[in-house]
Amino acid sequence: MDIPYTVHARPDTGLYNAKIGIWLFLASEVMLFGGLFSAYIFLRVGADYPWPVHDLDVTLGFVNTVVLIASSVTVVMAWACLKMRKFGWYRINMAITVLCAAVFMINKTLEYKAKFAHYAVKLTDGTLLTGHLPHGYQIKFDGVTELSLSVPVKKSAVSADPVGYVLPFIEGDAPKFKTEDGQEITLDQATFASLAASAVEKAKAANKGSASIKLVAATPVKFAAKPSEIFGYTDTTITFRDGTTATGKLVDDKMTLEVDGVDARGVAQSEKSLAFDHRYLGEAWQKAFVSNRDHHISKFEKDYPTRDKSKSATLQKEALFFKLHSATPPAEGEAHGEKHGAEAHAPAEHGGGHGEAHHPTVVLEKKDITFFSNFTPKLNTYYAIYFTLTGLHGAHVVVGALVLLYFLVFDDKRLKKDPEHLANRVEVGGLFWHFVDLVWIFLFPLLYLL
Amino acid sequence: MADNIEAIQKSVKKYIAIGALLIFFSGLTVALSYIELPTHGLNILVGMILATIKAALVALIFMHLNHERSTIYKILAFTAVFAIVLFVLFVLSHDDPLTFSGFYSPVDR
Amino acid sequence: MSAAATTHDHAHDHAHDDHAHGHHQQNFVWKYIFSTDHKTIGMQYGLTGLIFLLFGFFLMLLMRWSIAYPGVPVPAIETIRALPAIGDLFEAMFGRWLNADGSLNGELYNMLGAMHGTIMVFFGIVPLGFAAFGNFVMPLQIGTIDMAFPRLNMMSYWFFFISCVLMMYSFFVGTGPVQTGWTMYSPLASTANIGVTSVWNHGHTWWLTAMVFNISASLLGSVNFIATIINLRTKGMTWMKMPFFCWAMFVTAFLLLLAFPPLEVAAILQLSDRVFGSSFYLPTGLMEGGKHLDISGGGSPLLYQHLFWFLAHPEVYVLILPAFAILTDIIPCNARRPLWGYKSMVYSVLTLGFLSFLVWAHHMYLTGMGTMMSTYFQITTVLISVPSVILLTCMMISLWGGSIRFNTQMLFASAFLPMFGIGGLTGLPLAFAFIDLALHDTYYVIGHFHYVVAPGTIFALFAGVYHWFPKITGRFMNDKLGKWHFWPSLVGMNLVFAPMFIQGMAGFHRRWYDGGKYFENTSGFTNWSTTLTHKIGAFFGFDIPDNMLSLNIVMSIGAFILALGQVPFIINFWFSIKGGKKTTSDNPWDATTMEWATPTPPPHGNFLFDPVAHRGPYEYSVPGHGTDFYPQWESEPGKPETNPAADKVLAHH
Ligand code: HEM
Ligand SMILES: [Cu+2]
Repeated sequence: MDIPYTVHARPDTGLYNAKIGIWLFLASEVMLFGGLFSAYIFLRVGADYPWPVHDLDVTLGFVNTVVLIASSVTVVMAWACLKMRKFGWYRINMAITVLCAAVFMINKTLEYKAKFAHYAVKLTDGTLLTGHLPHGYQIKFDGVTELSLSVPVKKSAVSADPVGYVLPFIEGDAPKFKTEDGQEITLDQATFASLAASAVEKAKAANKGSASIKLVAATPVKFAAKPSEIFGYTDTTITFRDGTTATGKLVDDKMTLEVDGVDARGVAQSEKSLAFDHRYLGEAWQKAFVSNRDHHISKFEKDYPTRDKSKSATLQKEALFFKLHSATPPAEGEAHGEKHGAEAHAPAEHGGGHGEAHHPTVVLEKKDITFFSNFTPKLNTYYAIYFTLTGLHGAHVVVGALVLLYFLVFDDKRLKKDPEHLANRVEVGGLFWHFVDLVWIFLFPLLYLL
Repeated sequence: MADNIEAIQKSVKKYIAIGALLIFFSGLTVALSYIELPTHGLNILVGMILATIKAALVALIFMHLNHERSTIYKILAFTAVFAIVLFVLFVLSHDDPLTFSGFYSPVDR
Repeated sequence: MSAAATTHDHAHDHAHDDHAHGHHQQNFVWKYIFSTDHKTIGMQYGLTGLIFLLFGFFLMLLMRWSIAYPGVPVPAIETIRALPAIGDLFEAMFGRWLNADGSLNGELYNMLGAMHGTIMVFFGIVPLGFAAFGNFVMPLQIGTIDMAFPRLNMMSYWFFFISCVLMMYSFFVGTGPVQTGWTMYSPLASTANIGVTSVWNHGHTWWLTAMVFNISASLLGSVNFIATIINLRTKGMTWMKMPFFCWAMFVTAFLLLLAFPPLEVAAILQLSDRVFGSSFYLPTGLMEGGKHLDISGGGSPLLYQHLFWFLAHPEVYVLILPAFAILTDIIPCNARRPLWGYKSMVYSVLTLGFLSFLVWAHHMYLTGMGTMMSTYFQITTVLISVPSVILLTCMMISLWGGSIRFNTQMLFASAFLPMFGIGGLTGLPLAFAFIDLALHDTYYVIGHFHYVVAPGTIFALFAGVYHWFPKITGRFMNDKLGKWHFWPSLVGMNLVFAPMFIQGMAGFHRRWYDGGKYFENTSGFTNWSTTLTHKIGAFFGFDIPDNMLSLNIVMSIGAFILALGQVPFIINFWFSIKGGKKTTSDNPWDATTMEWATPTPPPHGNFLFDPVAHRGPYEYSVPGHGTDFYPQWESEPGKPETNPAADKVLAHH
């Protein structure tokens, strides 16, 4: 016995089952992206920082738009060819569709990669510096001899795990450690497990909630770790994510940044931005900044004499978000006249750290930094929603392409036997594909252009 | 639905034309986004109108919504209502026309 | 599983469908585990749901202990710990958080509370009410052979199963399960316990991942339900001849379909906050423990609440509509009267479904959202009570003049009506922002919604189990044990939930792990109810102090009675599968809807003849008709429908 109306439409509703199914599914997808878009509106309306406009690579976005539209045409053509029983053309169109999906995803990957390598640092006065970290960013400790670890008696979230969370950050080979009973050990999983077990036994006997273990290094140890890899540090101690604390001396937590942009929109007096401190970019860059700023302001006054300067987000951006294109400040009068800033993030510019410098390098002190992140969801709510929206959309592209590929490759036997059924399937898959295109039609202007 | 072969044959050209139109509109959106209108809100409005036209073309022509069954229209109508409710009320919730806060405040953003 | 086993045997007795279709050479695994048959899937959902209801109930018992006796060791804790296997399990899930003396602390209480809510709502009631009863009964009632997409149906269950595993796993990870309430409000939920080793060490991450699977399962299920109802109704089954059960399931499926995606968004964004460090729900300058968090800020907790309640209000109707669905079958059948006002009920449930999307922010009056929003939501909230009242009233009037058969399911059904009434009426004051100011987040709210879902929905679910058990297994559940199940449950439920209104109006906060012990004002306050409690306690020789806190003890006693009341049910359920009284007819309750036209239990493919709906679904006590019921499928009074299924198979080829 078969389920009715899988191929032919039910007379009174005029629909076959899968058609209802896909439209219901799309309805729920509308609500999914509806929820995301309303989150976008909510975040944008409530944003307390200048919302990035034209910040992404518009060319790449436009290419992807064209690719998706093309694939939308080919997928509907594939369906039409199938209906007309032109099987060869059906296959060609379907293949192009899947190919378009692949191109789209490759572009997306390039775009994401460029973002991940790019950093933004917020200084205490509200200045935002963008650029690259040629050497990464690490906290360095030296002269560490003592580790104190804590193992709770009951299973808990925080339990010392030096092999997983401490040893990886030792520079060079790990030395031998001495336990409190004077035993000399090499720290590995098995040794530590037995050490912890006996300590826990003792703690239990003493009716304590957790056992503490002290280890003394035979030779002083150096540590280097990214801030995200550890829990926290002071001038003399470093705490790892497993709760283990090491005592030593902080030798370096400065950040070397190749600056490609100074965003002074968050600073009351933009020319006094901390970025132009003598320790950092210095006076020459300050001059370039000011001349660029005043150039844009006077140009705006000329072009739009009746408009309010303080209300133009574009002017704010052009005047106060200064892009650095060379290692040394340009000579007087050369700095302005650049276009919008989008190209600053283009992959071509990512020569950072390859010897010849395109950008000035500054060494930022920790006390001047309030927040830093690469261009990931962490950076601000704009990038958070950008990655979420495009990431989910990308997932839809992948799933849709896989389904279409399945029809093309594995469902081919249905072609001769039951082309009507296959046409239904392609129609349903196509509807999903058009929906993916439809979402992008809104994503592209909202994230890239407006 | 365009089920007879002739109708489909005719629509093939239409699909390609619509595709070209969509690409044209996309280019237009990009170009317009670089022109500074009196407020950025207007830029957004223009961009969204263009996007809505494009979306409508895709939905009506490619997704055959120009001649679909009433059941589908009913499902989509409810969905559209709820999605719009989602948009509007989200904005209203921290932007209140009664107290002139947020979006309705005299300060342009 | 033996219920399913009988199904299978029976299917072969009837030997109705032996042509080669592949699904008949299946072995056990494909037949009962990865089955695509809507009845098997319904039973899978049902059993899972029942187990989770029991588990969620157990979590609540632990909580109630802490509320009534804060700081007192859990009774028999050492015995529990010493049990083989169970002891270790208990220790890993809960024991490791207990205080040294074996009493509960706030941390464990919060875990229990959050998981109780989550499990009851998403893993207990929805799977049982919507997925289990809907899957089993709905295709039978519209006279079709299966769901429109049987394989999606199977996937739905397995997505749900994965979500169950992930959710249970969260008990075992480092920081234990979530502690932030079933509502999972950010920023607390975005930041709690973050920063320690890996994110996968937090129950929270698992909660969110599990919810993503759970939501996907619901979406697949609801697509299936709607497509089935639209396209697979059998001949003659016009929309207005469809049992109200199916209408309610139809609306429920729409609620799930359109309301769950925003929750999925909420979960994804919260996951991003936790895993990628984004600030969707975190405002600028957020501090924790006196330190600025390492976040960009710029988000808003309000966004989370909107996305959450956009689902969660429709979700409460997802909880109640299956209950209405079940009752509209049981009440007419046992009152031997047609359902009163079928049409107005259908329109009401459609209105209710529509309005339920427009009232969500009545949970957010205290967030400081705009006055216009607040006004709007007060109006819609009051509006939505109208269709709810119509539904309830129609069911009450359906009893009028009936010769009621008080079997167990009817007892549960008739208790539902006043209980739901209390729950609904206590919701009305909450609809007004100025009253909600005082009552929000107090035990009053807890009382309100528990009256709707516990003695409301859960009673309806029990009624449904008693009602359809004979169809599923071919045996009745024991009526005596059923009554032993019903009365303690009714008493227990009211003892637990009625005092909550009093406490709530006295200002008791809903999340105190110690029941308010350390708040002097609460313990000093007395009124008639506390005095009554004191006197009754004294009568039995207990010294229960005359203050508000004593109500905690009353409620915990109620919970204990409720727990005892479930023992007869569990015994009844398992023993009746094999040992219950056998049914002598395929239609043991003399009902009129189509599921009773199938063999017992219904075989794969359901019907032995091509079912046609000849009349409405509630033709009881039709004047001039020979018997007091006139089934939908009978073409002439009393004439058995015999055309063999083989014809039907051919007809579809
Ligand atoms: C009949 C009309 C109803 C009205 C006017 C109503 C109104 C309300 C209001 C205003 C609240 C928010 C209280 C607060 O948090 O301060 C609330 C909470 C709640 N209601 Fe209702 N309700 C109704 C029916 C129902 C039904 C039928 C159900 C479930 C089946 C239900 C379940 C809930 C739940 C679960 C909550 C609390 C959620 C939480 O905060 O954890 N309500 N109700
Ligand atoms: Cu509500």
